Amino acid sequence: MTHWFHRNPLKATAPVSFNLYGVASSPAANKICNDLRTTRARLLDMFTDSTCTPEIMKKSSDEYFALLQGFILPLDGTTQESKLRFIQNFKWSDTLQGNIASAQQDAIFELVSMAYNVAIWYTKFASRLAGKENITEDEAKDVHKSLKIAAGIFKTLKETHIPRLITPAEKGRDLEPRVIDTYIVQSQAEAQEVTIARAIELKHNASLIAALSYETANFYQKADHTLNTLDPECSSKWKKYLQLKQHFYMAYAHCYHGQTLLAGDKCGEAIRSLQEAEKFYSRAEALCKEYRQMKGPGSTAKPSEQLFFKKLGTFIKNTLEKCQRENGFIYFHKVPAEAPALELKASYGLAEPTPFELPPLSAQCTPEVYASFDLTKGPKEDKAKAKHDEEIKPVKEPDLKPQKDTGCVVS
Amino acid sequence: PAIPEGVPGDRTTNRDGVLVDEFGLPQIPAT
Repeated sequence: MTHWFHRNPLKATAPVSFNLYGVASSPAANKICNDLRTTRARLLDMFTDSTCTPEIMKKSSDEYFALLQGFILPLDGTTQESKLRFIQNFKWSDTLQGNIASAQQDAIFELVSMAYNVAIWYTKFASRLAGKENITEDEAKDVHKSLKIAAGIFKTLKETHIPRLITPAEKGRDLEPRVIDTYIVQSQAEAQEVTIARAIELKHNASLIAALSYETANFYQKADHTLNTLDPECSSKWKKYLQLKQHFYMAYAHCYHGQTLLAGDKCGEAIRSLQEAEKFYSRAEALCKEYRQMKGPGSTAKPSEQLFFKKLGTFIKNTLEKCQRENGFIYFHKVPAEAPALELKASYGLAEPTPFELPPLSAQCTPEVYASFDLTKGPKEDKAKAKHDEEIKPVKEPDLKPQKDTGCVVS
Repeated sequence: PAIPEGVPGDRTTNRDGVLVDEFGLPQIPAT
């Protein structure tokens, strides 16, 4: 296993028929409704299809969003938004709240919820790919790219689309700032993990690796603190993951900072820095065990037993021993009581969210077809609307269990 | 000043004009 990431469940939704009988009064209007139903169903299938690639996901989500925008954008130039925006009811569960669903009769709620799930899918795709043993360079690029795409979707939803909702998000729901901010920062931090692994592999400067690790640890800390005021029942496990990653990358930062100090003949400080790395590593190990015992939404794993985790422990131990040997032979420096401060700013490798753009409006949505939607002839009662408080079945997700990590390399 | 090479926001260079790869790492390792 090259990397390991915690994942919360996908959002679930009730089927939407788009049966606007009477309202959709032309064949072209009916075709839009039929196509909305089929493209939506196809996109939902893609979320759990283990053969789905980012290209297929992009195509499926673009097909649906191109049509859905016909229910959001004004098509006749006389109004601020589509007259169809509030005609259909949509129901979505949240990633942290089990099967309890929220319902809104608003096409923007649907756009935001569906795009949110697309972003979650990208994080899951990245996790699946990164969980393989010895991933290739191209796969690492795909992981990095997918996490930046996910961060970009979450960010654009937060800044551009969620503020347009009429009903504000309730506490603990996916669309509230604490939850969405955590997803943004977590996606960026995980993308940087891939970059750190690459920087180590390519033998980049120790100071570059230390700075990027330090910033990544800070990202995890920020994400953890964002969740502080959320209900512990649904956020504790997620928080534990963010904390263990924070400590793990602080251990990385101190370890590589120690190497920089040693290279600058500051052996005493280097030893102290590596001792600090050991401390953070032990704390990360304890947090891994706590994570495993936590109940709550999300994946189960034994991260501290995985090779990526053990490798750092061995590396810290060996580097500390090397420093102590050199101090005993060459430097004879006093080891300071205080750990050297990490005032590191990363100039390289910070992951910026990739801007998310909706596809252009479908060519089917012309002003003429728009005019043929007659709102005076109200639609039949939608079944989803009638069963407002019904729970939604969770999404059956493909098995994302980490693969067995033997540590063997086929050369 | 010299004529700038490439387009603004070109992903192959960072803010300091250093050539970087897709991960934002310098193309030539510094060690």
